Amino acid sequence: MVAALVDVPTNEWIELIEVPDDESRVRLLRLGLLDGRVKCHRRIRNGPVVVRRRGTEVALGRPLAREITVKRAGPDGERR
Amino acid sequence: MTANGEAVNDEAANEGTAGGPGLGHTEVALVGAPNAGKSVLFGRLTAEYADVSNYPGTTVETTAVTVGPTRLTDTPGVHGISSFSEEERVTRETVLEADAVVNVIDATRLDRDLFVTLQILDMGVPTVVALNMMDELEADGVEVDVDALEVALGVPVVPTVAVTGSGVDELRERLPEASAPASTPVDSHYDALPDAVEASRAEKTLLVEGDEPTARRVGARGLVADGGDGPLANVEDREAVYRERRNRVRSIVDAVERDTGSGRAAGQRLGDLLMRPVTGVPIAIGLLATVFYLMGVIVAQRVVGYAEGVFFGRYYNPAVETAVADLLPASEWAAPVEFLLVNDNLGLVTITVQYVLGVLLPLVIAFYLVIGTLEDAGLLPRLAVLTDRGLNRIGLNGRAVVPLIVGVGCVTMAVISTRMVGSRRERLITTALLGLAIPCSAQIGVIMGLLAGLGVAWWGGYLAVLLGVLGVAGVFLDRALPGRQDPLIEQLPRLRVPRPGNVARKTANRSAAFLREAVPLFGATAAAVSTLDYVGALDAIVEALRPLTAALGLPASFGQVLVLGLIRRDFAAAGMTDATLSASQTFVGLIVVTLFVPCILTMAVILRERDARSALLVWVGSWVTAFTVGGVVAAALEVIA
Repeated sequence: MVAALVDVPTNEWIELIEVPDDESRVRLLRLGLLDGRVKCHRRIRNGPVVVRRRGTEVALGRPLAREITVKRAGPDGERR
Repeated sequence: MTANGEAVNDEAANEGTAGGPGLGHTEVALVGAPNAGKSVLFGRLTAEYADVSNYPGTTVETTAVTVGPTRLTDTPGVHGISSFSEEERVTRETVLEADAVVNVIDATRLDRDLFVTLQILDMGVPTVVALNMMDELEADGVEVDVDALEVALGVPVVPTVAVTGSGVDELRERLPEASAPASTPVDSHYDALPDAVEASRAEKTLLVEGDEPTARRVGARGLVADGGDGPLANVEDREAVYRERRNRVRSIVDAVERDTGSGRAAGQRLGDLLMRPVTGVPIAIGLLATVFYLMGVIVAQRVVGYAEGVFFGRYYNPAVETAVADLLPASEWAAPVEFLLVNDNLGLVTITVQYVLGVLLPLVIAFYLVIGTLEDAGLLPRLAVLTDRGLNRIGLNGRAVVPLIVGVGCVTMAVISTRMVGSRRERLITTALLGLAIPCSAQIGVIMGLLAGLGVAWWGGYLAVLLGVLGVAGVFLDRALPGRQDPLIEQLPRLRVPRPGNVARKTANRSAAFLREAVPLFGATAAAVSTLDYVGALDAIVEALRPLTAALGLPASFGQVLVLGLIRRDFAAAGMTDATLSASQTFVGLIVVTLFVPCILTMAVILRERDARSALLVWVGSWVTAFTVGGVVAAALEVIA
């Protein structure tokens, strides 16, 4: 199930599969957000989306979150 | 960090050879993610030694301390050694010149921080890892097998708790054991580089990662032989190298980290509250009010007011004026010299000293205290998240919130804090908005007094006009400037209670560095303005402004107000209290002086932080905006009346 990051509900486990902007992709890769599952931790209304992985929380601005394609794994995805 | 350049004469520095730093002078860099505890550890490692020096010149500061034969440099926090931001550029330069690195990693963020560790080891820089925040790790209910991590990395790993000093002695003792594996998986990518490229292992690693500054640096040596047709830096390879390194990070983390399941519930309530608009906006307004009260009322008005009115006004300036008059002979040539030194607008030994010590220094210290506290608490990134949405509309991302808040306290300081904002484009937009539409606290006091005499409706009108200009200017600059908006990618650190010692040390270092740079700059500006004043150029400007003031329906004396405004913003506002103006004239006048050019200190700082073109854009733009908006408002009031 593929969706844009902005459309993912809170607490759902996802995989970020496509980040079109080169620099953003590399920065997310370095932070460890592009290999494996991350949790959609919080969505600020009309604002950034916060994703979480192993205690690391990263806020992604809304325009960027709109561009990012994710694979949804459902709310009962593996822990951590 | 060219300031370090002369100190590095060991070959090890450029060769990046494995093995601990030898005898003699060694450069050690403290490297790690923001909020991993680098600064506190730096303080611990160097606490007993007073020889602290700060290196400005780069736009993001580094601090170095010499302890015996070792010079320890604290670097800005980064998530990778690369060139995506000013912080990364500074850290990359420092690492390239270091003989050894103390890599501070947050034990609770192993999966994030080991990327930098492996990158430094791939670069072949001898390293000791400080596994910090061991106390937090325990509270989280997670265990890390330190011995296994040491084996996996192949370099010493020392568990530390920087805030209590635990593990710091062992870290110091094991520093000579700093090493790097003789070869790492990144070596296989070196084949992609031209055969004859003469670069250290560190440089080769950065080259295969497509780091352009390194490519220029290596390319400039002219040592690239034939076959080096392609670009030296390989952007395509970067992702492959990064992915491969991430895989290594994951397998290490999987092997050494174990969740005991006994930890506290994850989640940081306060941090979440600050990011959600419903709760975040009131908290942010409270925070803003506190910052404004501290900077705008306590410091800008009371402290600065006392310094200017009493210390300088009653004692220092009269005494210096008398002294200068006594010292200089009463001959013809002495008159211009005396004017330059003690004139009432910007005398070099009177008003200039007053500005720097009486106005700027208190504001600088207060500013760095506030920012240092918010920074140490981990609040700034959350504030950025909260405001990202609004700032997106004017071409900025959430990070620009800090300069805009600080601007209400002091625009000069705010321009300096634009260093925290991402790209050049965003810094320029932020600087322009600050110069145009943000009244500083010095001015606000006087403006509030004048508006209070007019009534609430005028107040609302004033605010509406300013916000309108801010919005329109932001949208205009966003459209007009090339490039695209920088996306917000903000790592949210753990919230914690700020540590006074840490904040105080940073404040002292930063304030001293600022003064070292600012004093000569302001001295030169003051001399130039005084010269213009002496030859009568300032009076000529008042004369030239006559048609403009007339067009706004204001008396010619308003030109005098504007000329004062060229030097200092609150002078302009204060000048208006003396003039007899009608309500609508006062309103138009206040809008014009608010939108009018930033004070001379701000201009000097814009020149230093940006460039002449940006400074000119802000300055000319302010003239145009002030008179256009003032004219429109005057015309509108005419119609209504």
